[in-house]
Amino acid sequence: MDNIAGQKSSLAWATNISVVALVLLWLIPTVGLLVSSLRERDQISESGWWKAPFPVELTARGRTGTQAAPDGDAFVVTGNIYDDEEARTYFPDGGGDVVAFGTRGVDPTEFAAGTTADLGDGESLTVNADGTYRWVTPEDPGDRGQRVYFAAQSPPEFTLGNYRQVLTADNMDRAFVNTLTVTIPATVIPILIAAFAAYALAWMDFPGRGLLIALVVGLLVVPLQLALVPMLNLHNRIGIGQSFMGIWFAHTAFGMPLAVYLIRNYMAGLPRDIIESARVDGATDFELFVRIVLPLSLPALAAFSIFQFLWTWNDLLVAKVFLPSDDASKVMTVKIADDLLGSRGGDWGILATAAFVSIAVPIAVFFAMQRFFVRGLLAGSVK
Amino acid sequence: MKPIRTLLAGAAALALGPGYAAAQDLEFEIGEEPFSWDSLEAFRSAHDFSGESIDITGPWTGRDAELVESVIAYFEEATGASVNYSGSDSFEQDIVISTEANSAPNIAVFPQPGLLEDLAQRGAVTPLDPETAEWIAQTYAAGESWVDLASFEGPDGNENLYAFPYKIDVKSLVWYVPEQFEEAGYEVPETYEALQELTQQIADDGVTPWCLGLGAGAGTGWPATDWVEDMVLREAPPEVYDQWVTNEIPFDDERVVAAIDAYGWFLQDGFVNGGREAAATTDFRDAPSGLFSFPPECYMLKQATFIPTFFPEGTEIGVDADFFYFPAPESGDLGQPVLGAGTMFAITVDSEAARGFIEFLKTPLAHEIWAAQGGLLTPHKEINPEVFPSDSQRELNDILLDATTFRFDGSDLMPGEIGAGAFWTQMVEFTTGSQDAQATAAAIEERWSGLGQ
Amino acid sequence: MPVILQGIVTILIGVGGCVAYFYVSNYVLDRFIFPAKGENIGRNINRANAVRPWLFLFPAIFVLGLYLVYPVVGSFVRSLYGRDPEVFVGLGNYTQLFGSETFQIAFLNNLGWVIVVPAASTFIGLVAAQLTDKLSWGSFAKSMIFMPMAISFVGASLIWKFVYANDAEIGLINAIRAAMGFDDPIDVLQIPFWNNLFLMVILIWIQTGFAMVILAAALRGIPDETIEAAILDGANPWQLFFRIKVPQIMPTILVVWTTITVLVLKVFDIVYTMTGGNFDTEILPSYMMDFMFRDDGRATAIAFVIMIVVLPVMFWNIRQARREMR
Repeated sequence: MDNIAGQKSSLAWATNISVVALVLLWLIPTVGLLVSSLRERDQISESGWWKAPFPVELTARGRTGTQAAPDGDAFVVTGNIYDDEEARTYFPDGGGDVVAFGTRGVDPTEFAAGTTADLGDGESLTVNADGTYRWVTPEDPGDRGQRVYFAAQSPPEFTLGNYRQVLTADNMDRAFVNTLTVTIPATVIPILIAAFAAYALAWMDFPGRGLLIALVVGLLVVPLQLALVPMLNLHNRIGIGQSFMGIWFAHTAFGMPLAVYLIRNYMAGLPRDIIESARVDGATDFELFVRIVLPLSLPALAAFSIFQFLWTWNDLLVAKVFLPSDDASKVMTVKIADDLLGSRGGDWGILATAAFVSIAVPIAVFFAMQRFFVRGLLAGSVK
Repeated sequence: MKPIRTLLAGAAALALGPGYAAAQDLEFEIGEEPFSWDSLEAFRSAHDFSGESIDITGPWTGRDAELVESVIAYFEEATGASVNYSGSDSFEQDIVISTEANSAPNIAVFPQPGLLEDLAQRGAVTPLDPETAEWIAQTYAAGESWVDLASFEGPDGNENLYAFPYKIDVKSLVWYVPEQFEEAGYEVPETYEALQELTQQIADDGVTPWCLGLGAGAGTGWPATDWVEDMVLREAPPEVYDQWVTNEIPFDDERVVAAIDAYGWFLQDGFVNGGREAAATTDFRDAPSGLFSFPPECYMLKQATFIPTFFPEGTEIGVDADFFYFPAPESGDLGQPVLGAGTMFAITVDSEAARGFIEFLKTPLAHEIWAAQGGLLTPHKEINPEVFPSDSQRELNDILLDATTFRFDGSDLMPGEIGAGAFWTQMVEFTTGSQDAQATAAAIEERWSGLGQ
Repeated sequence: MPVILQGIVTILIGVGGCVAYFYVSNYVLDRFIFPAKGENIGRNINRANAVRPWLFLFPAIFVLGLYLVYPVVGSFVRSLYGRDPEVFVGLGNYTQLFGSETFQIAFLNNLGWVIVVPAASTFIGLVAAQLTDKLSWGSFAKSMIFMPMAISFVGASLIWKFVYANDAEIGLINAIRAAMGFDDPIDVLQIPFWNNLFLMVILIWIQTGFAMVILAAALRGIPDETIEAAILDGANPWQLFFRIKVPQIMPTILVVWTTITVLVLKVFDIVYTMTGGNFDTEILPSYMMDFMFRDDGRATAIAFVIMIVVLPVMFWNIRQARREMR
């Protein structure tokens, strides 16, 4: 007995550990995205996101002042490098200790902080860890101070600026509403249509059934790019044009093969005796479908609805083709792609933020639906 | 009461739409120096489109969209028309779909002539009148080459001018940080030979002369095509360039191969930041950062006029960073060739107001408004150079006005499968060093000759 | 907001319309056309049952036919024409494609994708489903693994850029290499052959969550008696999983496999944004996009090749459907 119990608990340990490992592995890239969305563009290309919480050593430059005090034959300029405006731009939150300094761009950390650098011709420069410097020069510096390069610790820096920019972009609220207006009907309508068709394909007997199933599977792979132009033409001809109505139709159609396929497969797996006995009791197919098959198929409907919701939510192509391009009907993906990224395609911070904002709602939906989802799935265990 | 009133006001603003929003804020007050306001007044007295509206679609988004809207505002102010501009990052795909589905805007702004030519041949674009062609030839610097660029055979086989070039990008530029040049004692090279010497000298000093990044997602490779095009213009007369981009001479003509090799010269060990393999995947938008790091990861970057958008925030052009003309060889008499790209306004759904808008683009003011806010270069000879916000912008525009030869970005003139396909991918192969210039050119030629009819 | 109202009204109309259609059409069929009463009751019931499937199927067949079948047929015709839609070239586009080296690379790569991605996603998803099944924090773990499903492909490509970047300061892989003492950063997207696998990892990462959620449901659906019987027979956990549970949920595995295969054949964004098809990583969907709207003849021909690639999975599905019908 002991042996089995020991085996069991070691198995449980192994399970726990491997799931933790799996979750971490899956989470790392997403965490990277989250961290990047909280950083500025310059920083993102400067250091890895995993270094974001730590102070980084940053190389900066500034100029000494020009207020020279004569000292014997020479002039002495003293001050603090952090008083220089240019140097401060590198450290908006204040700089840390200076580690090293130099006077040439090619070797910005030539001298350790606190040492005196001999610049030749009787000229010398000392920069201390706290940023104070002493520059001795044989000539009056005039109006141009000595160039100083230095390396200093920069505290970790996070910003909500990217989020502010994405969320407060003109008409972003409108775009959000538009996205919902597109996604919800485009998720609900195909489910209904597909559920009826799936039932017919799974439990009704008629000639050509096998052929239709094959057709649905075949249509799964049709690249929707093929359908864009002919369908937009059709919409224009029947007067729908580019409108919400058009995009609902389009999403409904493009999601249909997968919906029919997924739901039919699930329904076909339902126990035969339940359906047969209902038929014997005199239920019509319509009643049978609505009262018995539909409730039992909830897990499949939920699975497909998540799939379709995510797909319509993240869709860019269909929205661009079937919706007009004015601000009043832009959805979030189009808004982000055209207005926020556009010519600033290299702005990784905005990109990361946009990606994060766009997953927030689907994740919320998933969490909110999870209980229902799991219950539905458990109900499916009649099989 | 109050909430209701705000609600109503909000509804009114919504109902009035974008035209209302744009018309209320003119960027510069009429009469303000140094703009050519008389040209606007003359235009105003000849055109009235009150109550009409036109749609314009173009590739400009973000800040550029605001800029073009600031120009459009003056058209609306002068004519009473309302204009709806919408920009799209995937403009080229959108315009093809919308012309095929008969939902095209009145005016489309094409970033490259290849696509425009395709659409013109299908009859989706309305030709402009011959007077406009004459006007461009006379008023634009190197005017004839602009007219040629925008003239194609229509569906009826006649050659017409189909678009109005507006806003030009110069590609033959090298960006550098003046202070780093000064510290290291480097001089801005005046000739191609001097540029090669400088490259060698910088490498001999133990630092890296060039930053290079070809990465651009699906467009990976295009920066290398700009290099090769500039090289062709420096290796051979412009006629060869014209024959090359139309495949009258094969892509693997020895002069083109020589140009690819000339680009290859700059890829030698120690000349490119990170090495040639890294350059092939470095994003072109990340490439400039090497100029601004300490110590500098590189001293020069060859890139078009738009690149300062990707410089670190707060970089002041002319002070923190500057550019010089990618010089022509001293030997030979090829003059000062300039490679560029530009956008072209074409009428996709004809209307009086749309034609009026093209007329509006002829006024110096339409160029000055954008130029004054930075980012626009123009070959329009009658604009007041004082509108440019900085000396460096003015100098940049002078490069355009002084060009003895202007040639449009060749990859934009080639068929899409080549200019936005094989040319890109093969240049990536060449850049990483996995094949030589001859093989690269031959592979592209093979694709080109195999194009479907 | 009128848009919200419009949306709500549409949902109501759409949903109500659908329900009304099904209800009314069935009602009319049973009441008026072939009423189940009177002298012909037997014949009427049979007739009604012969018509009813088509009532159920009609809306789906209508949208499928209009939005998918019609364009597919139109596209096939288009693929027989050249760049200029007036010039008939027969199978010229196809023969030219198969003669081109890029196409051959894309074709082979695509076969790799179609095999590796569904296999890996399904397998990892299955293992994850089994492992999380009995855990107290299983549903949390599932949510975490599911999360990538919600990220757009462009967002996903960006995430992985921070993993693969050829710079120890930005790319995680090179940072780890640097920490281990390798000085020179490598570009994993330029290593021949392996770069394809690195790209596939992205899609596997996205799709595993989907496989896991569906398979977890299927695993729970296995009757307890079956499992108890196996345990009594002395099956160890491995045998229980691979010999008992997996065969039981085979139909679901097929569904998951098919769904992911289909997705693989449609996704071009990942290759498009990560490498642009360079370094021999081209796949058919992104190769098709190179021609789309330029040479539609060639583009549609590629689309048909893509559909051919999926034929084996289709046959598998049809066989399964036949078996169920018996």
